[in-house]
Amino acid sequence: MKRALQRKKFALVPAHGKGAVVLAALSLPGVWVAPAHAESAPDNGVIAFRYLHYEDSQPGLKRIKVNSPSLYLMTPIGPQWAVEGSAVVDSLSGATPRWQSSVSSASVMHEERKAADIKVTRYFDRASYTLGVSRSKEHDYASNALSLSGSWSSADNNTTWNLGVGGSSDKIDPTGGGFSGDTRDQKKNTVELIAGVTRALSSTDIVQFNLTYGSGHGYYDDPYKALDVRPDNRKQAALLGRWNHHLLGDQSTLRTSYRFYRDNFGIDAHTLQGEWVKPVTAALTFTPLVRLYSQSAADFYADARVDASGFPVLPALQPGQLNSGDQRLSAFGAVTLGLKTEYKLDAAWTVDLNLEAYEQRSNWRIGGSGSNGVDPFRARFVQLGASRKF
Amino acid sequence: MFQVSVAPGNASLRTEGTREGITEGMRVMASSKRAGNDFGFQFSAMASVCEVRIARLGRRKAEQLARLAIDEVRRIECKFSRYRAASVVSRINAAAGSGRPVDVDAETAGLIDFAARLHGLSDGLFDITSGALRKAWDFRAGRLPRADAIEALLPLVGWNKVVWRGARIELPLQGMELDFGGFGKEYAADRAASLLQERGVSHGLVNLGGDIRVIGPRPDGQPWQLGVQHPRERDRLLAEVPMASGALATSGDYERYFELDGARYCHVLDPRTGWPVTAWRSVSVVAPACLAAGALTTVAMLKGTDALPYLAAQNVGYLAVDQQGQLHQREAALTLN
Amino acid sequence: MKKAMPLWAACVVALAGCSSAPPQAWEKGSLAQPGMAMGSDPLGERYSQHIYTSKENASGGYGVGGGGCGCN
Repeated sequence: MKRALQRKKFALVPAHGKGAVVLAALSLPGVWVAPAHAESAPDNGVIAFRYLHYEDSQPGLKRIKVNSPSLYLMTPIGPQWAVEGSAVVDSLSGATPRWQSSVSSASVMHEERKAADIKVTRYFDRASYTLGVSRSKEHDYASNALSLSGSWSSADNNTTWNLGVGGSSDKIDPTGGGFSGDTRDQKKNTVELIAGVTRALSSTDIVQFNLTYGSGHGYYDDPYKALDVRPDNRKQAALLGRWNHHLLGDQSTLRTSYRFYRDNFGIDAHTLQGEWVKPVTAALTFTPLVRLYSQSAADFYADARVDASGFPVLPALQPGQLNSGDQRLSAFGAVTLGLKTEYKLDAAWTVDLNLEAYEQRSNWRIGGSGSNGVDPFRARFVQLGASRKF
Repeated sequence: MFQVSVAPGNASLRTEGTREGITEGMRVMASSKRAGNDFGFQFSAMASVCEVRIARLGRRKAEQLARLAIDEVRRIECKFSRYRAASVVSRINAAAGSGRPVDVDAETAGLIDFAARLHGLSDGLFDITSGALRKAWDFRAGRLPRADAIEALLPLVGWNKVVWRGARIELPLQGMELDFGGFGKEYAADRAASLLQERGVSHGLVNLGGDIRVIGPRPDGQPWQLGVQHPRERDRLLAEVPMASGALATSGDYERYFELDGARYCHVLDPRTGWPVTAWRSVSVVAPACLAAGALTTVAMLKGTDALPYLAAQNVGYLAVDQQGQLHQREAALTLN
Repeated sequence: MKKAMPLWAACVVALAGCSSAPPQAWEKGSLAQPGMAMGSDPLGERYSQHIYTSKENASGGYGVGGGGCGCN
């Protein structure tokens, strides 16, 4: 890190004689005026197609495969309106564990989820407002959500504030009543708030801070897992900081972000991500990515225990006692390594390929010990995309 | 007068200039079809062919705004042209040697301050009093000046001799002249463009005889392809500079000149010697404002072989052709959005 | 958290060392480069966030209105 600081380029701030002629000209009245409209509908629309192929596994066991095509359309309607919409179909197949990492063949499934959303944005001189609606449907889960957000820019266009509120109403109706056989027609309602600020710090730096808070009530258990009893409410908060830095030397961009997360399940999580957008030619750009993640275990997470023969020991629960053996609530760390390749075919078309490798291990947890007895988890995802400006 | 064309998109001539010199160009294919609302309004002002281009606004609004922009250009021409008796510059020049300082308004004061600043920042090369030297040079007749003509005029040249205080300017010697020709057109381009931008134009440009200020990109979001005149071949472009904002100005030894016995004498005169500069065939500068771009092309022509490091230090992009026909260029480090 | 602190502190120092002048209107060319926008790849980011929300516990920070799913 020290070496990077020493070699860092400073943004070009005119010193004595540097750019002085330009500054002298710009200071004359009427020679330069800042653009009046901070916010306006984009000049171009975009249509994009994207395809995700995802596979995960644990040692000795292949788990889930997902194939997911999606379509995205954004179109300005005049200078003051824009409409954005997307539709996705997730096709899942494979098995998820009923308890910790063990998989029973009875939990193999094939699932399809269809989702779509539409957003309408109205632009004013220094502000914009967006209304969004989304729906998601799979055979055992349906979600309807509504959101409203606004963004406001300062006169010099260097600072933008944003606020948003969203609500979603979900219905859960597990196949065959779930693991217990009698879980049906459950509901979950959540409200989310976001407040954030984005600021241009210099001619080459933009930073963003977002604070989100969510509060939900309803059914949070995983119905297909054994002995899964979670609280009937969930409060979550996350603080995200992002920094994009442009390097003038090779016209590349360094993007870093850190997010701190905490919820009332007792989980604290840290996410640190860095990517480097590196144009190689006018048409080709590579973006390598590294992401580090670490979380603590939920208060009611039950550690994996095995008996003398190696079979998992299921805890004995009191009525109303919270419990879950879900690996996703355990303490672990995870690393993602990715590479995205983007190629501009012409002024309108761009195609890209994104390859990512992900691994989760309990002993990779930072700042504490990971949960015992949980197998490492690996995933590979490939995304293929094509987009056209019009 | 050189001509710069704004090719609306499909001109295929790429930037010329290799180590071997300027090569034969490719056929220029310029499409004259303009999709959607893209209006160009041609007019003549400041002895040049000019154009105001406004896009993505209805015809009526575009016409209205173009009229305002053209009026502003003509206003500046009337106010600062030394060829019009009623202009501020003519009044100042008429009072030269009379001992009476002339009061000027805020706009004129701003421009004089700019010229004074530029004089300092260019080591005395940019000098608005060098207009007096025109009396020695007759470009139309194509004759060299008499030996003593320049000697007689040099004492009248020198910004340091001008008394500039408060808002009053005095030219102490009779025969001294101020000339805003080195930046008047560029200033007008900036003023007209800013005026249009304040009134809602976000796609368009103002082109005053090759000094161009871009207001915003083409209607499809792509940059305008601004053509730079080839310094030796009248019907060819030297290069196309893609720009979505900012300004482009060009100075060259081909605008007003004559050739005698194989030597070319152009209109850019060194204020220290009274003789034309010889180092560059053409210098184009890209800067946020046309006023800066134009002033810097003049300084570059005057700086001769030291021009390129100077322009780099001023943090602007440039395209320069030397007397061997070789192209030198630099991308602007701070491009504009 | 302890291991992450020096990294984050270094980032803050680097940030502070950058030119501290907010950009003038004519200096914003770099900010308009495609990689500099915060949300430059909406579909791709959506896929990534969806995957991480299903396989990890943390979520949020990016926006509202996503809706839920029964992802395992």
